[in-house]
Amino acid sequence: MYKCTKCGESPVIIQRKASGQLLCKECFIDSTKEKVLRDIRKYGLIEKGDKVLIALSGGKDSVMMMSIFDILRRRNIIDLIAVTIDEGIKGYREDGIKIARKNADKLGIKHKVVLFKHYFNKNLDDMMKDQIQGDSRHACTYCGVLRRWILNRVAQEEGATKIATGHNLDDETQSIIMNYLEGNLDNLTRIGPKSESNYHKFVPKIKPLREITEKEAGLYVIASNLEVHLASCPYAGDSFRGEVGRFIKKLSENHPTIMYSTLRGFDKIKPILKRELTTNGAMNTCKQCGEPASGDLCKACTFSDKWK
Amino acid sequence: MKITVTIGDQNEVKEISNSITIKDLLKILEIPSETVVVKKNEYIVINEEIVEEGDNIEIIKVIFGG
Ligand code: SF4
Ligand SMILES: [Zn+2]
Ligand SMILES: [Zn+2]
Repeated sequence: MYKCTKCGESPVIIQRKASGQLLCKECFIDSTKEKVLRDIRKYGLIEKGDKVLIALSGGKDSVMMMSIFDILRRRNIIDLIAVTIDEGIKGYREDGIKIARKNADKLGIKHKVVLFKHYFNKNLDDMMKDQIQGDSRHACTYCGVLRRWILNRVAQEEGATKIATGHNLDDETQSIIMNYLEGNLDNLTRIGPKSESNYHKFVPKIKPLREITEKEAGLYVIASNLEVHLASCPYAGDSFRGEVGRFIKKLSENHPTIMYSTLRGFDKIKPILKRELTTNGAMNTCKQCGEPASGDLCKACTFSDKWK
Repeated sequence: MKITVTIGDQNEVKEISNSITIKDLLKILEIPSETVVVKKNEYIVINEEIVEEGDNIEIIKVIFGG
């Protein structure tokens, strides 16, 4: 019988390949929670009095993140609002919204559902159906840009001072490798635990689960009996991100520390990259929507212009 | 020996050879172990856990290709 490395109890629910550590349910939940709270402090992700907007999809990462932030809310350190974006992905998003709502209600956290259709006149499914010939951009490209736009807008509407997303270690490693492989150094310098733009219209974004593996996030919600939406977006599979993700997970089987070392290495290079690459492109205000933009129009408006 | 395997809302009784581990079982079922959490008789178990006659094995997929 295996015994927990920390408390000596059985049964254990995880063997951490990287460290060999065995943990029982209680010790796994406690140590993971503490790790996230420690990272929040270490990277200065929140300040007392912050109102944090939780981007709550209802999936394992965002539900886990909300449950940990709720500890800080109950200690009166921060205030929370949960926001679920309905992109309009048929057969997928409906369940996520229901589960998101249940989780927010259970904790007594204010919850808002915001629609692509409301802000852009169209839902994602229709955008993809009506995509003009020759435009081969992937659904996730639109979705990502429009979601970021909505979160920043809703955060301002709600007076939120931070936007928290559930990106985990797998997501973050994927972004690093993906942007590196694509030579997209501009995006690369923007990866980190906290966004650093000093443009006042950008509500800072934070990623408290950045050092938690996707597998451990899954284990955490099941061990904690949290109800989450476990399903795959119909657009997800064939993206480049998906390909890179599978490649890294495959590598991790025989090299269990590879994601940690990728992240650590990147975090060390990043300040140098930033120093060398910062273009000092001053931020403008989008002529159409008033959100931050690098040119006349923000990215979301250049997209949504097409659908008029 | 016989065990019950639950994946999603599907239950299936499977005939398997004696004393294999969860890891072996996942291999037989062609499920990558890094994408699932496994419960044996309602308790979360690790890959090295031995599967025994009559066990109820629930396989919960937590990681999706995307
Ligand atoms: S997988 Fe792509 S399309 Fe689906 S929700 Fe995520 S970003 Fe949007
Ligand atoms: Zn323990
Ligand atoms: Zn705009």
